[in-house]
Amino acid sequence: MINRLFSGPLRQGIEAQRPLLYRLAYAWCHDAALADDLAQEALSKAWARRDQLRETAALKGWLVSIMNHCWIDHLRARRDFEDVDALHDTLASNADLPEVCCDREQLVACVRAAVATLPLAQRQVLTLVDLEEFGYAEVARILEIPVGTVMSRLSRARAALKLILERKMRQAERPPVLRRVK
Amino acid sequence: MNAFVSDETLHAYVDGELDQAEREALAVRIQGDPELAQRVCALRSLKDMLKLAYAEPPAPQRRDVARAQGGRLQRCALGCLVLGTGLVVGWMLRGAEPAVATAQAPFEAMPGLQTVSLARVPDPDRMLLHVDTAAPDRMQATLDRAERLLDKAEREGRQMQMEIIANSNGLDLLRAGRSPHAARIANMQARHANLHWVACSQSIARFIREGQRVELLPAVRTAPTAIGEIVTRLQQGWTYVRV
Repeated sequence: MINRLFSGPLRQGIEAQRPLLYRLAYAWCHDAALADDLAQEALSKAWARRDQLRETAALKGWLVSIMNHCWIDHLRARRDFEDVDALHDTLASNADLPEVCCDREQLVACVRAAVATLPLAQRQVLTLVDLEEFGYAEVARILEIPVGTVMSRLSRARAALKLILERKMRQAERPPVLRRVK
Repeated sequence: MNAFVSDETLHAYVDGELDQAEREALAVRIQGDPELAQRVCALRSLKDMLKLAYAEPPAPQRRDVARAQGGRLQRCALGCLVLGTGLVVGWMLRGAEPAVATAQAPFEAMPGLQTVSLARVPDPDRMLLHVDTAAPDRMQATLDRAERLLDKAEREGRQMQMEIIANSNGLDLLRAGRSPHAARIANMQARHANLHWVACSQSIARFIREGQRVELLPAVRTAPTAIGEIVTRLQQGWTYVRV
């Protein structure tokens, strides 16, 4: 059914963004099933509102902003937050970081866990800039916040992430398998 | 002029948010200031790590499970780590020296050469050099090292495969009209049949988005991403050198 729904250039164009939306949603919530739902919901809403899209060049940002609304709606429904700002400052995860980051899978798990400890608002800005390479102005448009806020959230997110990862790496004791030749 | 550069400014720099004049002015300062260069490097590493962390999210659980990609990277235990130089590699490589005694011979002539390999013994005949900055001394060093390694292999009668990969601002090295070493590269190209030049398509796309025209030198091929190319080569047993 989905395949029939999304046929034709714009449909294909919208559907082609699914992996991007899914990855971004996953980086926000770290829950594969929820991320899939969010991406699906954003794609469906985008199709329903396709006449609102002014230029196809802006498709990616437009889809992400729709997904941002889906995400906020989801959080509101789930947590019963009155105030989106309060919600944005919430720490969503206290998950323990993996013990040692010394191979690829552990590093990936370590970075994801570190990202998950960031407040949601910072996490969104960080992932939009670093994963999808949106410019600051575009992130501001997507999240409907001032550019200055984008910059300060990004700055705090990276500082926190750097701190977490550096601390993690100093703790690591197992001798690495990687070899260097001097 | 020599005031402290704020984190916000450096973030804007690595995110490509500064205008050309600001970017160039800051680039000059970074070249002359190792501490600043280190901060930029750490930031870039952080960005790289984040990209890597979400390059392959788990397959969506409800629909289209078949879409899950069978992890081209999955088998690569460590290739990724070369990318997190500032934060990760320094730490990763700490204490690794004792393991490499057997492999030191081919690199002895290259003091300060940092190589990474997934093999027990780094392969001296398949080398990947990576340049990610437009700093003139680094570009120069990349070509110098490449030539020294190639010449050495030639003297010793070894068939060496070499790839020089450029991304980010290092792309300048391979851009027609911008490369300060176009003639030298053509010359090296003519001398060494097994020397290949690779440009990162993602970086090219970024420059184009910024309104630049990007033309590559002849004989340069493109790879979808520098990260992917490096990881693939490492998996194939190549030895990676960050200059």
